[in-house]
Amino acid sequence: MLKEKGQLKFEDKWTYMRPIVLKLLKQEPVSPSEWQELFYDVHLVCLWDEKGPMKLRDALHEDIIQFIKQAQTKVLAQRQEEALLKAYIVEWRKFFTQCNYLPTPFRQLESSLQGKTTAGNSSIQGNNIKKGQNDESIVRKLMLDSWNESIFMDIKRRLQDSAMKLIHAERNGEAFDSQLVIGVRESYVNLCSNPDDHLQIYRENFEAAYIESTDMFYRLKAPEQLAENGVQSYMRYADQKLREEEARALKYLEAGSNGVIQCCVNVLVGQPLPVLLAECAPLIKAGETDRLQLMFRLLERVPEGVQPMLKELENHIVQAGLADMVAAADIITQDSEKYVERLLELFRKFSKLVHDAFSDDPRFLTARDKAFKTVVNDTKVFCLELNTGRAAATKIVAPESKCPELLANYCDMLLRRTPLSKRLTTEEIESRLRDVLLVLKYVSNKDVFMRYHKAHLTRRLILDASADSEKEEDMVEWLREVGMPADYVNKLARMFQDIKVSEDLNAQFRTSTARHDAINIKILNAGAWARGSERVTVSLPVELEDYIPEVEEFYKKKHSGRKLQWYHHMSNGTITFSTNGGKFDLDVTTFQMAVLFAWNQRPHDKITYENLRLATELPDGELRRTLWSLVAFPKLKRQLLQLTPSVTNPKDFTEHTVFWVNQEFALIKNGKPQRRGKVNLIGRLQLSTERSQMEDNQSIVQLRIFRTQEAIIKILKMRKKISNAALQTELVDILKNMFLPSKK
Amino acid sequence: MSENSRMDENDNDKKEVSQEKMFTLKKWNAVAMWSWDVECDTCAICRVQVMDACLRCQAESKKDFYGKQDCVVVWGECNHSFHYCCMSLWVKQNNRCPLCQQEWSIQRMGK
Ligand SMILES: [Zn+2]
Ligand SMILES: [Zn+2]
Ligand SMILES: [Zn+2]
Repeated sequence: MLKEKGQLKFEDKWTYMRPIVLKLLKQEPVSPSEWQELFYDVHLVCLWDEKGPMKLRDALHEDIIQFIKQAQTKVLAQRQEEALLKAYIVEWRKFFTQCNYLPTPFRQLESSLQGKTTAGNSSIQGNNIKKGQNDESIVRKLMLDSWNESIFMDIKRRLQDSAMKLIHAERNGEAFDSQLVIGVRESYVNLCSNPDDHLQIYRENFEAAYIESTDMFYRLKAPEQLAENGVQSYMRYADQKLREEEARALKYLEAGSNGVIQCCVNVLVGQPLPVLLAECAPLIKAGETDRLQLMFRLLERVPEGVQPMLKELENHIVQAGLADMVAAADIITQDSEKYVERLLELFRKFSKLVHDAFSDDPRFLTARDKAFKTVVNDTKVFCLELNTGRAAATKIVAPESKCPELLANYCDMLLRRTPLSKRLTTEEIESRLRDVLLVLKYVSNKDVFMRYHKAHLTRRLILDASADSEKEEDMVEWLREVGMPADYVNKLARMFQDIKVSEDLNAQFRTSTARHDAINIKILNAGAWARGSERVTVSLPVELEDYIPEVEEFYKKKHSGRKLQWYHHMSNGTITFSTNGGKFDLDVTTFQMAVLFAWNQRPHDKITYENLRLATELPDGELRRTLWSLVAFPKLKRQLLQLTPSVTNPKDFTEHTVFWVNQEFALIKNGKPQRRGKVNLIGRLQLSTERSQMEDNQSIVQLRIFRTQEAIIKILKMRKKISNAALQTELVDILKNMFLPSKK
Repeated sequence: MSENSRMDENDNDKKEVSQEKMFTLKKWNAVAMWSWDVECDTCAICRVQVMDACLRCQAESKKDFYGKQDCVVVWGECNHSFHYCCMSLWVKQNNRCPLCQQEWSIQRMGK
């Protein structure tokens, strides 16, 4: 069978091979023996004719071109768009199928051709290469490239245009066979023989055309929609179209490129952006969460879309928040509970807005927080002057929000035994305390809160007035959790420890002698509680004075190296007041006691202010405050003391004003005087003195200066050189948990 | 006037009532602050107020520094006073008072 080398020529064999090749191209049936022969002939040609492989390839190419030409004629005969696409797709699919069959018999040819280019490779390597290159067989590439160069180059414009026309029709609501467009796209994708980027032809032609036609479509439609139906409905339109186009792109385009959506976003959202943004403020104001959500969804797609929305939200919260505060200024500046509740209500309202309209997007949460800060620290509603008592000498301090003071007052109402704290369950109190901490987060002068909080805590501990001591200690930990400075929180914790030490001591004192069941002592660590010079002298009534030496002696036995200072402005007690009308227990401060006991020697006398001052030795301010609480106690219908001439302000007492005990004193219940009863006259009397309040303000100013200096030194130690601006920034960072340093 | 005369008319029993003071003490909660009986508030060794625990004790921050009675004050014969913790470390280096350079000997300890 075998001929000698050189005897077999390509031309001899091609005559047999060609009809089979043509049948394969036309998808006509080929018998198994024909199929076999083709394999063998290719083998022979490659083996025996040196120029065979080249010739075989050229001949094959020629026939492929011829075949494609015929197909092209058939396709181009179609005038109508859909028919053209249909015809093309039919021809293409046929051809593409053959691209997978025809190369098979020519494997030998391929390895011969490749063998020439990769001569010297061992056979094992050759096998490997063949396997790896199976996908891009030479014959297959020849077929695809031929298709690409002839029919495709010739009609790709028409194909694309037709496909785009169909998509255009679909956008206008006409139905058609989407397979046509998909088919065209597939041909673009499969046609590409570039192994590095098989989407190249698709992208440069089909996708580019798709994007262009989309752009043109909406460039026309969008302004039309906007003009005809207004912004609100336009936003719905844009949103809907974007979704449609996303679905459409999924159907007609290859995955991985976002080009067409970017184009739609630009035309539908980017172009009319100013018009859309103009709607934002009114929508926020009206609380139109659904529409805002829609707007957010749209504007989030363009880079400069969200920032202005954030600004609008912030503006709105600040304006609405402050307006609300100012409208209710009368109530809220007086009533800390109402103030805090009002604030929280605002917070909840705006937080709900951010939740409903913007799904708690972090950017909007930040804008909300920024605005809350402004509202909380605004000074319009109330100005707290840090009055240092030397206004002329010291520079005038900028007014500050009263918020921290009111927050501290509210905390006190929750933690002290009050009607409010009695009304609430433990859980309710806890959640309200948490609310306070939430607001506190936004307060910039936290040191003011701390000062008031500490004063209230002192008062509660001294008066045993805590509603729940566990809650008290929880609160200290919560303050630590929200980032209150550790040294401050530690001070509070130390007060709790100290009060326990003092309780033990009191128990020991009371068992040490039987006589003293009328007295309790609290001997506290001055370092934890007291601030320097706030002691007030008073001449104690003998009933009290008797106890002093015994307590001091007891203490001296327990401890050494210590000195005691009595803090009578903090001490208090219960006295029984016997009148003709009955017997009443009065909770009073020691100062009130000192004043009232002055009458024990002369129950029915009228005593002048001057003589009371001599008897009690109280400083003028304290005596006035104390007397005022006895002649004009808000809760009492009948006051303890009476006076003449009557005044409307404690400042108007003169040294000749006379006071006497109201023998008709009685507690009134349901309009009837009672014979027995108990009343707390300590009321809102501060345990700290007027002077120490002033010192507090002074010390807060000084403490701020001190803390600032401390922080500057810390920063300068870490960096040898620093610009003023950078120093400012770092300072604010270090001190922001306490207060905002002023620019100086 | 009428009240007084009515009281005068009544018998011994009523007399006793009138002798009872108008205001009687039922309970007194007396408050005092204690501090170390020192001339200088600050410990010259660690520069912390003697009423606060010394630096070392603060750093150890024993959670229940129960009224911090364990960090007490000590007085020398020279009457200078320091945290006991601070002084006991100091004398290991130098047995003189850091303030007056007199030989250090303990006069008394705070308790
Ligand atoms: Zn020390
Ligand atoms: Zn210590
Ligand atoms: Zn000394």
